Amino acid sequence: VTSAGARWDMPTPYGDGTHQTQVARSFAEEINAKADGKLTVNIHSGGSLIKHPEIHRAVKTRQVPIGEVFIGRLGNLNPIYKLDNIPFLATDFDSAEKLYKASKPEIQKALAKENLMLLYTSPWPAQDLYTNKEVNSLSDLRGSKMRSYSPTTSRLADLMGTTPVNIPFSDVAQAFTTNAVDAMITSPSTGVNGQSWDYISHFTTVHAWIPKNMVFANKRVFDRLDKETQQVILTAAANAEKKGWEMGRKLAVEHTDALAKNGMKVVEPSKQLIGELEAIGATMIDEWEAEAGESGKAVLEAYQAL
Amino acid sequence: MHTIKRYFYLSSAILSGSCLVIMTLLILAQIAARFFGVIIPSSEDFAGWLLSATIFFGLAYTFHTDSHIRVTILLSRLRNRTKQIVEFFNLTAGILITGYLAYYTSYTAYESYIYEDVSDTYLAVPLWIVQIPMALGSVFLAISVVDSFIQALKGEAHEEVKSQEELLSSME
Amino acid sequence: MDITLIGFILVVAMLLMLTSGIWVALTLTGISIIGLQLIGNDSIGLLLGTSSWSAVTGWSLTALPLFIWMGEILFRTRLSQDLFEGLSPILSRFPGKLLHVNILSCGIFAAVSGSSAATAATIGRMTLPELSRRGYSDTMAIGTLAGSGTLGLLIPPSIILIVYGVSAEVSIARLFLAGVVPGLLLICLFMLFTAVWTILQGRKGQTADTETFTFGQKIQALKKLIPIVLLIGAVLGSIYQGIATPTEAAAFGVAGSFILSAVLGSFSIQGFIDSVAGAVKNSCMLGLILVGAHFLTLAMGFIGIPNELATWISTLGLSPFELILYLTVFFVVLGCFLDGISVIVLTTSVVLPMVTQANIDLLWFGIFLVLVVEMSQITPPVGFNLFVIQALTGKNILYVAKAALPFFFMIAVAIVLITVYPSIVLYLPTMMTS
Ligand code: NA
Ligand code: NA
Repeated sequence: VTSAGARWDMPTPYGDGTHQTQVARSFAEEINAKADGKLTVNIHSGGSLIKHPEIHRAVKTRQVPIGEVFIGRLGNLNPIYKLDNIPFLATDFDSAEKLYKASKPEIQKALAKENLMLLYTSPWPAQDLYTNKEVNSLSDLRGSKMRSYSPTTSRLADLMGTTPVNIPFSDVAQAFTTNAVDAMITSPSTGVNGQSWDYISHFTTVHAWIPKNMVFANKRVFDRLDKETQQVILTAAANAEKKGWEMGRKLAVEHTDALAKNGMKVVEPSKQLIGELEAIGATMIDEWEAEAGESGKAVLEAYQAL
Repeated sequence: MHTIKRYFYLSSAILSGSCLVIMTLLILAQIAARFFGVIIPSSEDFAGWLLSATIFFGLAYTFHTDSHIRVTILLSRLRNRTKQIVEFFNLTAGILITGYLAYYTSYTAYESYIYEDVSDTYLAVPLWIVQIPMALGSVFLAISVVDSFIQALKGEAHEEVKSQEELLSSME
Repeated sequence: MDITLIGFILVVAMLLMLTSGIWVALTLTGISIIGLQLIGNDSIGLLLGTSSWSAVTGWSLTALPLFIWMGEILFRTRLSQDLFEGLSPILSRFPGKLLHVNILSCGIFAAVSGSSAATAATIGRMTLPELSRRGYSDTMAIGTLAGSGTLGLLIPPSIILIVYGVSAEVSIARLFLAGVVPGLLLICLFMLFTAVWTILQGRKGQTADTETFTFGQKIQALKKLIPIVLLIGAVLGSIYQGIATPTEAAAFGVAGSFILSAVLGSFSIQGFIDSVAGAVKNSCMLGLILVGAHFLTLAMGFIGIPNELATWISTLGLSPFELILYLTVFFVVLGCFLDGISVIVLTTSVVLPMVTQANIDLLWFGIFLVLVVEMSQITPPVGFNLFVIQALTGKNILYVAKAALPFFFMIAVAIVLITVYPSIVLYLPTMMTS
């Protein structure tokens, strides 16, 4: 540790095994290598320094200069963050990139209001359906208990005719084993990391949406650095974003394969199921547009124009 | 004065106990509701907030009944004057630390208020509301430490370090 | 300032403050403030606010005061007396007799509760006064409770296995399964020690409880266990039937205890109020310590002492056995001053790659970690089981720690055993795959 240079402690919410933390580490390594001792970024993964719900606030009030969050988690603060979790709006990586491009100015504006600046985003693989039976249409799910972890996923569970059950990730295995839940929508990475084949049999690749994490810094702390160091950070952020999106695309395939290899039944969704889910998506997009108002409408129009 | 103090510690205990009871009922209601296929929105979050209210509200009462843990090996061996000096030192440190805690937990709640921060849960609850028990409870704790300090100044020994036998018999 | 010097200052300051008689929770907070001050952090107060808020707001933590309350309710019924009267005929010929009630009840309760403090608090509330009344050695009553309370972490469900499973990306279901046999092993070791100790003491003529029983009396006595078996059965059943999550099961336990006390005729309004007051005192005591411990964890994250130490170990180029030895010492030493779970949270980023590189099975390592964390629960000055038992008995913390010392060594023996015979851990989870 050089005492002369600044030191940035960076809390991240997820563990070292997730690609998100690996991306954050490569971001930090690049800065540490190129900043000439003027800045050291220290990653504290898995909520070990500041827990996920507090990270946004901690960066805002300069308790830490920089941090990472799951964008959808901030949905209650500004509808633009909710857009990140709207199902069946952008279901493949090309559309997700377009949606990011269309919504980026609004995200930056929302962050700037709190004296924050966006450094980079990094997507998770698309969200797929985990169940313990074959699902050909929504009627197969009716009445079952679906795991939810955010306002959006609860609403989705409602519209799918299931009961949303709020279960933290750490309780998922136990909940499935004891039938406290029978279905969840989450990325194949989560399934691989939690070895879901131990307790779940079916995996339907519905590709509901592609959520992202974002890394942001406190603008005032950033402004205190000299121009050179600022440029090092911005370059590292651009590289991290590129790496994050590449890994997201790659892992979507790799982890789905891993689920199949470990004995889960990986199936493409039936036409009927996709049709029903897209109808739900349309409802939720309308609801979001009503909540987000004019600026929300503009973002959606920009997205459709791309 | 004596009555005011009594009511002060009593309200600390009652607030804390009520939050514990409500938390339990909420969790039981949640189990029952799910059994019948309905959900109580954000019930986990409310249970978590009630937990923090239970703990913070009760701190003053707990301090007053001498239930916060400390190492009394040295104190129980010291006599009169030396013991008083050490106790003054302990209580002064106690006032500084609990005062600091009270100030900044209150500041955190105040900041949530001016930033209009809301929880990231199913229901968007204003954070300052659920943080008030933390702020109030910490202030109560600081007051109770100051109270002990004044007692000690007056020469009344701070709730005596009870002998082990006494505590054991009160336990049965 | 040099990190070694900071570490030295903090340890000395902590020992001074504790010895002087400053409250443990306030000492932890004070030490963290000093530490952050030494590294020149400029938002200590705000961090304290953030940390205090997240320390005691967690949903999974709600089980702790609920189990404490459950203990307070049961303590006011005939249940603890029944527990002993039911078990004493069976244990009457076994050296150590009713001391084993502590160990066995903790073992059984550990299957319901995921935390070590909750296990010690709930069981101890029922057993300690009864053991003392029957003339058992205080030291052994406290020691067996301190030691076997830690089983709450090893026997599933377990908070710490969940924390580890999430960060190491090991299946939590497998970890839970892996904890079962080592948990039973630990119970056996504790019982073995208690029996041997009693036999050795017996020569000096100190045995409590000299009643003997006929076969008929034994059967009669067993009936007294029915209510408690029903209670534990209902709570366990609610978890494994998927009616309640392990966290919610604690509320189930409270409700069940009230129903039992009503059925047994010991329910009264005054008793209810007393039980709430008792639960409030112990929960607030532990809660404030959690606030302090959480802030110390955060301060340690900024200062980086545990991380630096772990990094130093990783540069030594150790063989797997040496690595385990070094890590055991590392965790035991840090575990004296920090909460065991915090140590794991703070060091996984450095320790796990080391362990993976040494080709140590991550599933096995999870159980190893639980055992070292169990040890940290009963080492002074910062050990949660010690705090719980100090609150229950009023005995000072060094007395409790000394009583718990033999059980500390029994856990160490368990670590040696699982290192030499890894199949103790891996057998059950491997069965699951094949
Ligand atoms: Na357990
Ligand atoms: Na310890």
